[in-house]
Amino acid sequence: MSKVVNELELVEFVRAARAAGSPFEIVAGATRRAVGKPMCDANGGELAVLDVSGLSGIVKYEPEELIVTAAPATPLSEINATLAERGQRLGFDPADWSALLKSNGVATLGGAVSCDASGSGRLRHGGARDSLLAFRAVNGLGESFRGGAKVVKNVTGFDLPKLVCGAYGTLCVLSELTFRVYPKGACSTTLCLADVTPQVGFAALRKVARSALEPGGLAYLPASMMPGMGQGVALIKLEGARVPLQEKIALAHGLLGDGLHEIHEDLFAAIGCGEMFAEAEGDVWRVMIAASDAPKVVEELNARCWLGDWAGGVIWLAAQPSQAGHVRAVAASVNGHAMLLRATPQSRASLGIFASQPPALEALNRAVKAAFDPLSLFNPGRMT
Amino acid sequence: MLLPPTDTKILARRPEIIAALKQIVPDGVVADESGLATFDADALSAYHQTPLVCVLPSDRQQISEILKYAQVEGVPIVPRGAGTSLSGGALPREDGILVGMGRMKRILEIDYENGCVVVEPGVTNLNITKAVEANGFYYAPDPSSQVACTIGGNVAENSGGLHCLKYGLTTNNLLGVTMVLPGGEIVTLGGKSGCQGGLDLLGLVTGSEGLLGVVVEVVVKILRKPPVTRTLLAAFNSVPAAGQCVAAIIADGVVPAAMEFMDRRAAEAIESYNQPGYPQGAEAILIIDADGVQADVSHAVSRVTEIVARCGGTTVEATDEKQRARIWSGRKAAFAAMGKLAPDMLCMDGTIPRHALPKVLEEMAQLSEHYGLGFCNVFHAGDGNLHPLIIFDVMKPGEFDRAEAFGADILRLCVRVGGVLSGEHGVGIEKRDLMTDMFTAAELEQQGRVKCAFDVRGLFNPGKVFPTLAACVEKGHIHVHGAQLPHPHLPRF
Repeated sequence: MSKVVNELELVEFVRAARAAGSPFEIVAGATRRAVGKPMCDANGGELAVLDVSGLSGIVKYEPEELIVTAAPATPLSEINATLAERGQRLGFDPADWSALLKSNGVATLGGAVSCDASGSGRLRHGGARDSLLAFRAVNGLGESFRGGAKVVKNVTGFDLPKLVCGAYGTLCVLSELTFRVYPKGACSTTLCLADVTPQVGFAALRKVARSALEPGGLAYLPASMMPGMGQGVALIKLEGARVPLQEKIALAHGLLGDGLHEIHEDLFAAIGCGEMFAEAEGDVWRVMIAASDAPKVVEELNARCWLGDWAGGVIWLAAQPSQAGHVRAVAASVNGHAMLLRATPQSRASLGIFASQPPALEALNRAVKAAFDPLSLFNPGRMT
Repeated sequence: MLLPPTDTKILARRPEIIAALKQIVPDGVVADESGLATFDADALSAYHQTPLVCVLPSDRQQISEILKYAQVEGVPIVPRGAGTSLSGGALPREDGILVGMGRMKRILEIDYENGCVVVEPGVTNLNITKAVEANGFYYAPDPSSQVACTIGGNVAENSGGLHCLKYGLTTNNLLGVTMVLPGGEIVTLGGKSGCQGGLDLLGLVTGSEGLLGVVVEVVVKILRKPPVTRTLLAAFNSVPAAGQCVAAIIADGVVPAAMEFMDRRAAEAIESYNQPGYPQGAEAILIIDADGVQADVSHAVSRVTEIVARCGGTTVEATDEKQRARIWSGRKAAFAAMGKLAPDMLCMDGTIPRHALPKVLEEMAQLSEHYGLGFCNVFHAGDGNLHPLIIFDVMKPGEFDRAEAFGADILRLCVRVGGVLSGEHGVGIEKRDLMTDMFTAAELEQQGRVKCAFDVRGLFNPGKVFPTLAACVEKGHIHVHGAQLPHPHLPRF
């Protein structure tokens, strides 16, 4: 394993790898290595590893500019704590998949960005793509470059920060990330509508989603995931300063009637990071769909262990490997995407993270990848 | 400003090209001189160029056929929405086909359940809101040109607006697009699920200024209109006090829906133009919108009022919806109002880190003296997006050139303090030659290779955004030659 601790060393490493034609895996906190196709070198042997965990730490935090710049291996816990001290939060809701993937590593900012790992807050706050303002990285030619800029509003040149979000480290090796930050709601509470079917529960969540309540989380859990609540439960997370929060609670009651009650446990932390599936048997999927398709999709998926987040826009489920084709087919039937998050190396090798795309789109993805990493040095084959 | 040289071989083939386009779009080819004159510029009106021919397709198949033809024949393509670009993004080429999207203006689906609307690219920004406002919804990005500008153009430019401090730019309010690639293939990026199942090409295409393909369908998010919106006007007797106030509001944890700055000169011009009722005699004015549920807004308004007072300013609040609308109509008419000050105006668009505002304002005043031209400032204060308006008279010899040089110096200044060349208007041709002030050669080459991944022949909107034309050469992998620093003899913007 090789290790770099700054961008200069990173450039040297990539140039050497390029000269030798040696691809490598990029590892920082090592919590998400089991996502995506297993990787190997050109001869099917073990792939070299580049340890970038030394690229860590907050570089500059400017609360009044609503901007924070950090090295990519900065632990999520560190950045969250630093921002919280000033009453702020990251612009997106990064999800730590360590519990689900049973890893002992440390979830990092760069890992969350590269895997587009967003929790329940994505519904309101958007994904990493919506708040990553700028990055520095080294491309496959061994050149350091930046994308975007360290200001909150910029349209100069191509919006490259979007591309590195969810690219699973296949375009470049990140060396610095700049995010927009937001004030953190002072208080939050979770309201619950118990003993409702998926049909009724998701309809209630969509009603809240299209209200002006700006909910921080909207999830439905069937009885199998949350016993003691009848057929299932719709959960609504509201945020705000103390008085506005009271007003939002009253408005939610107005929208959904008297069946609502407050619970004093923040279940969304466990919902958004997949922790509820840590002990589930089989493969774990996230199926991204239009929210109104959720009732139909969960019926067709017919899984025992599942939940719906983002008002139904994402269905998490555990399924036997033999069900993989069915999961992908159900997603495709509603123009959705089934992402394989946790599975055996064999399943991951055959299924990939996402289903294959239409030929023209797949060719475009390949061409864009080649525009950054023509020799396919970075995380080869992980995404495709 | 130079565009890549005209290909005279293409000019010689004009009749043949027109005939071929008429085969594809029998009722939508504009080739006569007076018809083409309508399309010879966008809102960067200092630059004019009659296109080779203009074609107005009415569906995606026609566009696909047009692009396939252009690809095979090697004819440049310039896409155009409503032509409201302030950076020359839709400036035609003498040897290029202008593809106007004005006929594709249907709203295809309004989906309240999923909070989105599916539209053709020629629908205007404001018409999306109009289609859903009766049900209490709206489309958040609101560029000043929203009455005229199209959603296709908004996607191409990643348009912002007055309220993007809280609600984001176009890119944050977009779920998907269907586009025709330069080779004629039709691809869909994203959709109602908001997921793409691969790289985030939707994010890349948004703001790509017509360099990567033609968007033929757009899925946008719509939001519930906030139950309460209140508007404050804050007046200050010094510009630094207003700047300090903006920083203090943000630091306090308030995110106003909008926070607009204007200096005395801008406010006075607007006041005499359409009398929105701005405070007289103030050196700087802020317009601040707070929206949300009642209690959120009350909290924000009381915080803002207190902070304004602490910074030495005074606040008045719009008492009713009519007064609110008047205050905003003034700001939205800022550019028109400047016509009162001088016959011509250049509207600049850079973003700076807000803490650099006093320094930037001071240096702009020095530049104004140096170039002997007046200017005023309107400014999206919350997000640091400056719009200095340079006033001049094109009839006076040398004034236009001086105005352009002044503008370029302002943008260089923005970059020097850590900002950018464009916050929302795009690079187009206007800021193209300044790209080397912001990006290294390697960074421009990297972007050039991305362009090549879509457009190997370099036919899409050539001469825009990038200072030198990258040639894409396949050598086992895509590689770019020649994206070096621009030649010093090129006249700078």
